[in-house]
Parts: sequence; structure tokens; C-alpha cells
Amino acid sequence: MRWRSLALFTLTTGLALLVGDGVLLDVHAQVNKKNKNKRDDPPENVKFPEPNPAVKAPVASLPVPKTKDAAALAQLIDAAIAQKLAEAKIPASARASDEEFLRRIYLDLTGTIPTAEKAKAFLDDRSPDKRAQLIDELLADPNFGRRMADIWTAKLFPRDSANRFVLKEPLYDWLQEQFNNNTSWDKLVTSLVTATGTVADNPAVTYFLANRSVDKLTDTTAQHFLGIQLQCAQCHNHPFTSWKQVEYWGMAGFYAKVQADNPKNANKGGDNTQIGVREGFTRSRQKDFFPESTKNVPVRFLSGEQPKLEATQPYRPALAQWMTAPENPFFSRALVNRLWAHLFGYGFVNPIDDMLPENTPSHPQLLDSLAHHIATTGQYDVKYLLKAICLSETYQRTSKSTPDNKDDKTLFSHMTVKVLTPEQLFDALTQVTGAQRTMGKGGRVGVAPKGARAGAREQFVNFFLAGAEEASVVDYEAGIPQALRLMNSPITNNPAVVRAIVGNSSPAEAIERIYLTALSRRPTAEERKNLMSYVERVGGMTAYSDILWAVLNSSEFTLVR
Amino acid sequence: MFSVKLQEKTRRDILKLSAAGVFAPSLSGWLPLLAQAAAQGGQGRVKSCILLWMDGGPSHKDTWDLKPDSQGAGEFKPIKTSVPGVQISEHLPEVAKIMHWGTIVRGMTTPEGAHPRAKYYMHTGYREGQGGIIYPSIGSIVSQEVGRPESPMPNYVCISGRSFGAGFLGPKHQPLLITDPNRGVEDLKSAISASQFDNRVGLLEQMEKAFHREYGADVINDHKTTYQRAVRLMQSAEARAFDISTDKSKGKYGTGRFADGVLMARRLVEVGVPFIEVSLGGWDTHQNNFARVKTLSQQVDAALSTLVVELKERGLLDSTLIIWMGEFGRTPHINNRGAQPGRDHYPRAWSLAMFGAGQKGAVIGKTDKEGATVIERPTTAQDFLATVCELMGIDHTKKNETATGRPIQIVEKAKPFTKDII
Repeated sequence: MRWRSLALFTLTTGLALLVGDGVLLDVHAQVNKKNKNKRDDPPENVKFPEPNPAVKAPVASLPVPKTKDAAALAQLIDAAIAQKLAEAKIPASARASDEEFLRRIYLDLTGTIPTAEKAKAFLDDRSPDKRAQLIDELLADPNFGRRMADIWTAKLFPRDSANRFVLKEPLYDWLQEQFNNNTSWDKLVTSLVTATGTVADNPAVTYFLANRSVDKLTDTTAQHFLGIQLQCAQCHNHPFTSWKQVEYWGMAGFYAKVQADNPKNANKGGDNTQIGVREGFTRSRQKDFFPESTKNVPVRFLSGEQPKLEATQPYRPALAQWMTAPENPFFSRALVNRLWAHLFGYGFVNPIDDMLPENTPSHPQLLDSLAHHIATTGQYDVKYLLKAICLSETYQRTSKSTPDNKDDKTLFSHMTVKVLTPEQLFDALTQVTGAQRTMGKGGRVGVAPKGARAGAREQFVNFFLAGAEEASVVDYEAGIPQALRLMNSPITNNPAVVRAIVGNSSPAEAIERIYLTALSRRPTAEERKNLMSYVERVGGMTAYSDILWAVLNSSEFTLVR
Repeated sequence: MFSVKLQEKTRRDILKLSAAGVFAPSLSGWLPLLAQAAAQGGQGRVKSCILLWMDGGPSHKDTWDLKPDSQGAGEFKPIKTSVPGVQISEHLPEVAKIMHWGTIVRGMTTPEGAHPRAKYYMHTGYREGQGGIIYPSIGSIVSQEVGRPESPMPNYVCISGRSFGAGFLGPKHQPLLITDPNRGVEDLKSAISASQFDNRVGLLEQMEKAFHREYGADVINDHKTTYQRAVRLMQSAEARAFDISTDKSKGKYGTGRFADGVLMARRLVEVGVPFIEVSLGGWDTHQNNFARVKTLSQQVDAALSTLVVELKERGLLDSTLIIWMGEFGRTPHINNRGAQPGRDHYPRAWSLAMFGAGQKGAVIGKTDKEGATVIERPTTAQDFLATVCELMGIDHTKKNETATGRPIQIVEKAKPFTKDII
């Protein structure tokens, strides 16, 4: 360990050195080894920097609704977006067609595409509020929770070799349930941050088992819930100011009393649903692993306040309370920015988890107003905020750019063309091919029990992630092996699937069925004409299988327009 | 921040240009630009690297650094090699004859002693989890820096083992995995006739044109480029390198997946693939060390020596770097695990070997009489990886940026030893 050098570095460089050596939560195993380290540095006097005046509670400067009113909130969004576009003299693109909207809203909210019947019914529906109805329907769909669990499991459960003994499925199922029940965001995050008990009793403890060191916990909490990249190493290269070392360890102190079981031990003949997390009574041992110069740093929130905590009191509830308070300068902004980026591909602040005061939002007033509203009147209601955004004209714009707005990437003049995540791609393909999902009841994913074969979905996702932590939704990142698989494997070459889709229908109808099933739209007149002549030339089932193959391999299928 | 965008812009421009010729053989327009881009990376004489990955951590005292007079000497005898004064294990007799085209690094010393973390470390030069980043493996770095984006062939191929991937460099530098060398590339062959496949690609092209006309997004171009390369790989003559069934040398490399994988690696070097990794598992010899290391050494001996000789015959040895290594060494003493004892993990002092690339029989570093401590020229993973970079004409101090704009040096704090070995 390089304690001595730590004092010389700013907070984050020191961290990079630390991580490899592990500021582990299962302190018992480590104590003897670590005691060999020299600790002859005199502790410095702890001096916190002056609080940054730009870090303050969000204020609603725009006329936000006085009650939870999604339609009114959508109008507020549209007005704010329109104003910025007018200032920049950039025209907005037109409203999305029903076809664009249908596939987009399905994939964004449920992670999959509609069946041909659903698609047809929506497209033929003449009621003026059919889009609003569909938004409500999809937010209530169980697949909504699955989609959110896919996203959040990836963040809370890093793909790290140390996590091969930790069960992923309990956390995944728990998240799915929380999102489907629409547990408010403050309650959900509090459950995670303060979790104690065993995996079996309280799957939220998995967060601690999968991030088994004080620094990892501090980093992921800051990054995912507060929208702050504390871990950013090599400050000297960071373009903006950064947090100071004492501020970091002041936050880390809240996790100083956590005692997490070692999953590896449970794996050896034990039961890894029976491992878990406790809040210790003292902070002494955990403190052994803080850099020498930070040992005297008292627990302190990033906003600068210092909580009054007795040494015997648990610390994490105080952290959760501070985070989820309406006046917290980070928490609600981070939520709004994330949910916005979930739908638009980009946030008001990008990267979405780097919301430094210096990283100016594209729409500061709108971000703050939404943040204030969701933290107060909005009661951290995730489905409510998603609904309001989805109802807005801004969300319902086409992704076709005009010559005047094609270069705009920050003002939301047109929708971003997003890339399906591996999970979405698998689910969409499965929807088309009608194959029974092989991952067990309720479409579970996660690590299969030791020795068992991972589910088809997990395998597919791993193959497409190809070792990355998460897939980008704004860059197409699949490589040659993935393209080969989509072209040449049975997924897109199954004659039974073609037969099931087209049945005994006429060529025109068969083509329409393929399009409705895979692309959730009818073919255009031009497509119909070209494909009819293709069917005539090549003939029947062969032609249909060719068309389905081409559609499934098309960028339209693999993108959300 | 700005430099990311700039870099991104250049990448996008290249992709855009490449997409202009989707599914068409006409590449003349953008080839010069790509050639330029590639030239910024590797200018080295060495064009390809084969990493023979010895999974499990081979015992240095029973392969490259024998200590016949030590307490834990073990059963093997040292033999002379083609380099005067340099001895290696008696179970590497053919390799001993080509030692003058190689280097033994006997002073490896590293901090990771658990398999997954050590494998990660030796592939990336960084500790797993450090700074919250997933680091690229050396194969992906080579793919990024000297790979040929215009080629239908992949720039990084990984045979009969799992590997460490591209990390923040992105999936484009992910290895193409070959599970079984006798089966070649998965999904490479179409299930249908060539003419039907052409029909399908024609349909797809039609759809892509219409969609791109309407939406014009970069991601559509990127999708086209990837498909274009995949189709070209399916149809390319170079892809025959993946078919070892008719190679006259089959058998000379020995038998089994490793031997077949090394043969495939030679074929891939012949068509210019810049990085190939071939795995041989079984080196985690906590028990029955000597019988197992003997068998494994025999496999290595046949495959490695044939590889070097055949590359030499083809005039490719000087432009190919071959690395033999695992994640760490094994304890200098022999453990007490039952009737057939073995050696346990030992990262503190261990050996690796390299061949080709103009090497001339050097030995770098030295351990004490037990093989327990490095007493001369301790070599870190970073020193080694930087040497690999230098040999391949890659600037190892170059910084690549993560998705969030953090600049990460290819190899940090390295003291390469290139000039001592060529």
C-alpha cells in the first residue's frame, strides 16, 4: 500500500492507487496483513474547502404545476425547449408518425416491440388520445420493470471477477418489482443505501456485496444517484475543477461501518443467499483502510453540511436522508437528467453522471424546475416523470432532421436515433421469432446457479456486450462477430418462423405481416411494389424468408428511430 | 473534452467515407485516408504478434529458469540451448534449438496472485477495477493502434480460450473468438446458397438506402460499415486462413486444440492479422506438477518450435513477435499436497519468453538461487507491455480517451527493454 504517497496526490489519483489493494469491507481477513504497513505520516489538520456557491438546491424558476399533472408538465417542457430553439433560430422537426412513435415508446418503456396485432390495432385506432393511452398502458406493463431492472442491474452490479460468487438474480428481481410497483425514487435509493440483512431477506444488500469496498461504494453512490464522478482519476487532466480528497473521504465515512460478508467464503460449501450486510457499531476497523491523511476527516456531506452523529449511531440512514431531501443539490437533478437521457439518448448534462457545476446544462432552468418539482410535488414518482416527458411534443418529434437542424445535438430539435441495447435486441428478436423465452418464469435473467448454463438472453447479451460494462445507446458498437451471428445463425434463418408469420396469405398480405411483425409498420407503397416483384421473381417461401432476413438485419430493426 | 470530440469526428469521418461504398467493392475513395490513419499508429517492422497464453500460471523453475541446485529443484534437468550458457528445461528440446531467435525474461515480478486479477493485469497492464475503468487488453490495443480498419479480416483473433477484451476502446476492437480451430469462425458460413445470400444482401442494401435517405444518422452508417466488413469477410480469400483442414503442416504442430490453434495463428499471420492469441490451459499445477508440466511442455515444444521454423521459412519471423506467457509463476518450493505434490501461485518472480521480431538470444533479468527473488533487472508487466508496443511501433505513452473523456496512457510508468533484445 502506498499510504505515504497518497497525501501528495489529490483525492482521485490516490484512489486509483488504492483500488487495486482493496479497501475491503470484510475487514477481518485483512487486518493482520494491513497492520504491516507503515503509518508514520502525521495526520494533517482537516481543512474542508469552502463550499462551492454554485452547489445549491434546485429552484423551480418555471411555472411548474401545483399538483401532479403530467399533461401540464409536458407543456412546460415543450415551452422551455421551444424557447431555446427560438433563441438559437433552429427549427424543430415535425411530429413523429404513429409508426415512429409506436415502436419508440414500446422500446423505451418496455424494452421490446409490439406484436403485429398490437401494432395494427394502434395504427388503425382513430381516437385522438391514443398515444397518451398507450403511454399509460406501457408504464403499467410488467416489462417496464424488466427494462428498468436491466438498466440498473448493470450499474449496481459491476462485471468484476470478484462478483462471480455474488448472485445477481435476487437484485434483478427486486429492482423489477420496485419499478413495477413504482416505488418512489427516494424510497428505492434509501432501501439500497441503508440495506442490511441477508440476500434472501433483503436482496438490496447485493449492492454492497457487489461493491465490496468503501471507495467503490462511494464512487457508485455518487455516480449513479448524485450524478457526480468522484472517482475520476488523474485530476490534472480533468478539464474542470474537482472534488478534494477530504470531501471524498468525508463522504466515504458514511460507509465506514458497513460489514459485508465475503461471497467467496459462502460459495465454498455455503449458501450465497444467506450472506449479507450489517451495520457495525464502531468505525475503528474500517478506518484502518482510509489513507493516513484522511483518518481524522469527519463524515461530511458533499454539499458541505456536517451531520451530528454519535459514534454508536448508524451512519447510512443519515446519508440516505441527506441524499433524498428535496433541497439536496444533486439527487433530483441526477434523476431528471437520467430519465431524460433514457428517452432522448442525451441528457441536459453530458456525460449524464458528470454533473459538475462547471458542466453547464443545455437547459438549466428546465432541469432545475423539473428537479424541484419531482422532489416536492412530484414525490419522486418515476412513472409520473416518464409519462410527462413522453407526452411532450419534444419526445414525440420525428428523428428525421431538417437541413436547418441536422447538426443540433443539444437542443432536442429532433429525436436522437438510438441503438437497441443487447437486451432490447434479444427481446425484439424473440418477439418476432415467437420463441419461448428460455430464461425461466417472468423472463428472469441473471447469473445462473453455479454450474448451470446461463440463459439464452444472458448469453446473447454477453456476446453483444463483448466485455463492455454497458452498451452505448447513441453509438452503434456491434462488431463483425455480432453481424455474422445475426446474418448466419438460426436466429434469422428459421423457416418455421417465416411460415408462422405469413401463414397462407397472399404475397401482399405476407409482406405486410412481416413488416408489422418486425418493424411494427406497414410497408410503404414503394417497398410493397419492390417486394412484390421480388416475390414474383424468387417465389413464395424463399422470398419471404429472404425479406424477413433482410428486415431483421436492417438498421431500422436494430435502431430506435 | 474537445479532443474526444475531435477524435470522434475523425473516426466518424472515416466511417462515413467507408460507408459510402456499402456492399460495393469500390473502396478507392477512402483507402488513402485510412492508410494515413493507420500510419499514425504502427510504423514498426513487426506487423503481427502471436500471444501463446499459458493459462493457469506456468512454473518458471520447470520451464525457463531451472535451479538444479536449489531446495525445490524438482525433477527436471536443464539442457543446453542454441545460445551459449543459456539452459532451459529438458522437455523443451526443439525450442532449445531456436533459442537464438528468442529472449527469456527471467525477472518478471508482478503484484497479482489470483487468477482472474492476474490475467487481467498481464493482458492490460492495469489492475482490475482501478479508477472504475475497464482497460483494453494488449490485443485490443494493437487492433486500435496498428489494425487495418479497411481489411475484411479481424484485427484481433483469440483462439481456444477466453480473452480480455477491448474495454473502453469499444467493441470494434473486441477479439473474434475461435472456440475450436477445426470449426473455424462461428457463423462465418451462410446457411443458404451463395446466390440466395446475394439476393438477401441486395434486399438489405435497398432497405438501408431508403432508411438512410430518410434519417441520415451516423449510427446507420456505422451499422452499414460493420455489415459490409462482415460480408466481405465471408467472401474474402483471406478468410480461408481460418480453415486449417488442408494445411500440409497439420500434425507437425502436435495434436489437439492448442496445436491446431498455433497452426491457425501462422496462417493468420500470413494474411496480415496483427494480433492472435492462442490459449493452452492446465498450468495451474497445485498438484502433480511434474507430470503435468512435462506433458504441457511437450505440447509447447512441438507447436512453438514448428511455428518459429515455419515463419522463418516464409520470411515472416522478423516481422512477427511471438510471446509465451501466463499470469504468474509458481512457488520455488514444492508443496505438501498429497502423494503428487505441486507448486502454488507465485507472482513475485517468474519467467516469460519471446521469439521472432529480430530477437537474438538475450536473457533479461535473473533470480536468486532458489528462483524466489529477482536479483537483476526486475521487470514489471508495464515494462514488458511497453516493450511489446515498441517492437510493434506503438507509442506506449500515447493516451486514449474513455467515453467520458478521461485520458488513459497505453502503458504507464514503463521502462521497456527493447534495445537489449534486438
